[in-house]
Amino acid sequence: MHLELNSRGRFAAGAVALAMGLAACMHAADVEIVKAGSIKTALSLKGMRADSQAASKTFRKVLEADLVRSGWFEIAVGGASVDVSGFCQGSGDRLTGQCRVVNNIAGKTLLSEQLRGQVANPRQLAHRTADAIVKAVKGVPGIASTQIVMVGARVGRQDLYLCDADGARLRRATHDGAVCLSPSWGKGVLEILYTSFHNGYPDAYRIDLGGGRRIRLAAYPGLNTGAVLSPDGRRIAMTLSKDGNPDLYVKDLRSGVLSRITRTAYAAEASPSWSPDGRQLVFVSDRAGRPQLYVQALYGKTAKRLTYEGRENAAPDWAADGRIAYSSRRGGTYEICIYDPVARRHTQLTRGDGDWEDPSWAPDSRHIVCTRTSGYRSHLYILDVMGDPPLRLTSSEGDWYSPDWSSQ
Amino acid sequence: MKSSLRYMGVLTVGVAVLAGGCKTDSDEMGESLIIEELDGDHALMERFEDRVRVTDVSFDPVGFRYDSYQIDGGEVGKLNRVADYLRGNGDVSLVVEGHSDERGSREYNMSLGEHRALAVRAYLIGLGVDSARIQTRSYGEEKPVDMGHNEAAWTNNRRGEFALYR
Repeated sequence: MHLELNSRGRFAAGAVALAMGLAACMHAADVEIVKAGSIKTALSLKGMRADSQAASKTFRKVLEADLVRSGWFEIAVGGASVDVSGFCQGSGDRLTGQCRVVNNIAGKTLLSEQLRGQVANPRQLAHRTADAIVKAVKGVPGIASTQIVMVGARVGRQDLYLCDADGARLRRATHDGAVCLSPSWGKGVLEILYTSFHNGYPDAYRIDLGGGRRIRLAAYPGLNTGAVLSPDGRRIAMTLSKDGNPDLYVKDLRSGVLSRITRTAYAAEASPSWSPDGRQLVFVSDRAGRPQLYVQALYGKTAKRLTYEGRENAAPDWAADGRIAYSSRRGGTYEICIYDPVARRHTQLTRGDGDWEDPSWAPDSRHIVCTRTSGYRSHLYILDVMGDPPLRLTSSEGDWYSPDWSSQ
Repeated sequence: MKSSLRYMGVLTVGVAVLAGGCKTDSDEMGESLIIEELDGDHALMERFEDRVRVTDVSFDPVGFRYDSYQIDGGEVGKLNRVADYLRGNGDVSLVVEGHSDERGSREYNMSLGEHRALAVRAYLIGLGVDSARIQTRSYGEEKPVDMGHNEAAWTNNRRGEFALYR
């Protein structure tokens, strides 16, 4: 059975009934129901109990919200195909979550696990539990425990901020009030690479969150921007202009050797993003007159142009599953588009109602965080390539942009 | 090396609440997560910004077309005046600051602004100014001079500025 989802995530009532009817006829492991947007598995949380402590109640509430935000589930009251049962209880400063996941159709236990956390941080335990459930039922990585780094501009001051994947725990990472841009995660959720003017010039830095250190990565004459860590953690790609023109370079972290990747005397490059295997970079170049996307092998001599539609294409981000998200100027607005290298097809994910830019994939290769600018104000939104409607992530006053989603 | 030394050592005190805390929206939203600044493993060149800014003379910014770093014929007179001044004041150094308008990708606009600054620098070198006296700095779309959101504002914001140091 194949159901075509439209990108706006809206189904007619007839399609819903049809999908439910077809699902009922199938001998599938899941009973799938369709509401607005993507196909979902009906999941019951009735058997998941919490003691009377505030932390346990928070756990229960956050767990349910996480499972909904994962995009894979619909919380069902009855007739669920997946039952989640267990309990959450606090003892001293420890919080324990016992979780059992049963597929009712197959009569199979998918997960039976006890997770331990702290009463002081029930959200974290809920996020880990939600990710374990997503992994057990759908076999894909969850995103509840991930984090998002972004630039925030509040009362005219720019700084880096962090938040959880659900927008909670928004917190400031820098305190410079200097122009800063293009943050990206380094190793896990312990490092951030970015460019800051706090020293007067656009230099690249690495923030070690665990040790509270900021280390200067690159301070060559001119531009030092767009630093991104390779998937194996051994190299950094970035844009430098030290040789007279903005070009891409790769620095080997162990040897310190800097290799020049592009040599375009009459064009500017920007925004490198690594392929999942670390062998290629997708980036922006204006060598054809306007910014367009190109792909080049690390040790290759030539770049292949990827985009021809749209007056400008920029800010590419390569997903773990091989697809590339980018922002494209279509008519008068910027839209998020996806390139699928297997089908060799570009699809447009957003449809107006503001400018949509700076996409960054979640590790589930399903969700994208991006900037939406409307009425000259910017906020972060979560997009779903499987059809659920966009969800606003930031709610605090200020402008929020240039997000990067952590890979774990 | 002056600037590299200036930023060594502890800058900010106070460690943020890394986990938990569940701090909600406030003006402070916690202290900086950074408590120590370290230099990388490479030498830093001297930057003119550490010198004294020359304020008794200023030059009009050079304008650019959309998505372009090329110097238009109409802007050449401005560059000639800057070159004349630099040739007559051998102790003055220049930082060319490149800017873009607000449209499009911030990261690409940083590269575009740098490309504009480098085009101005190359032009001045062509007029006989010593290359060691000219540095570049791009601000991309981050420092607009005109806060409007229309063609006129965008035209004003696509520019190369001249910051002089002695």
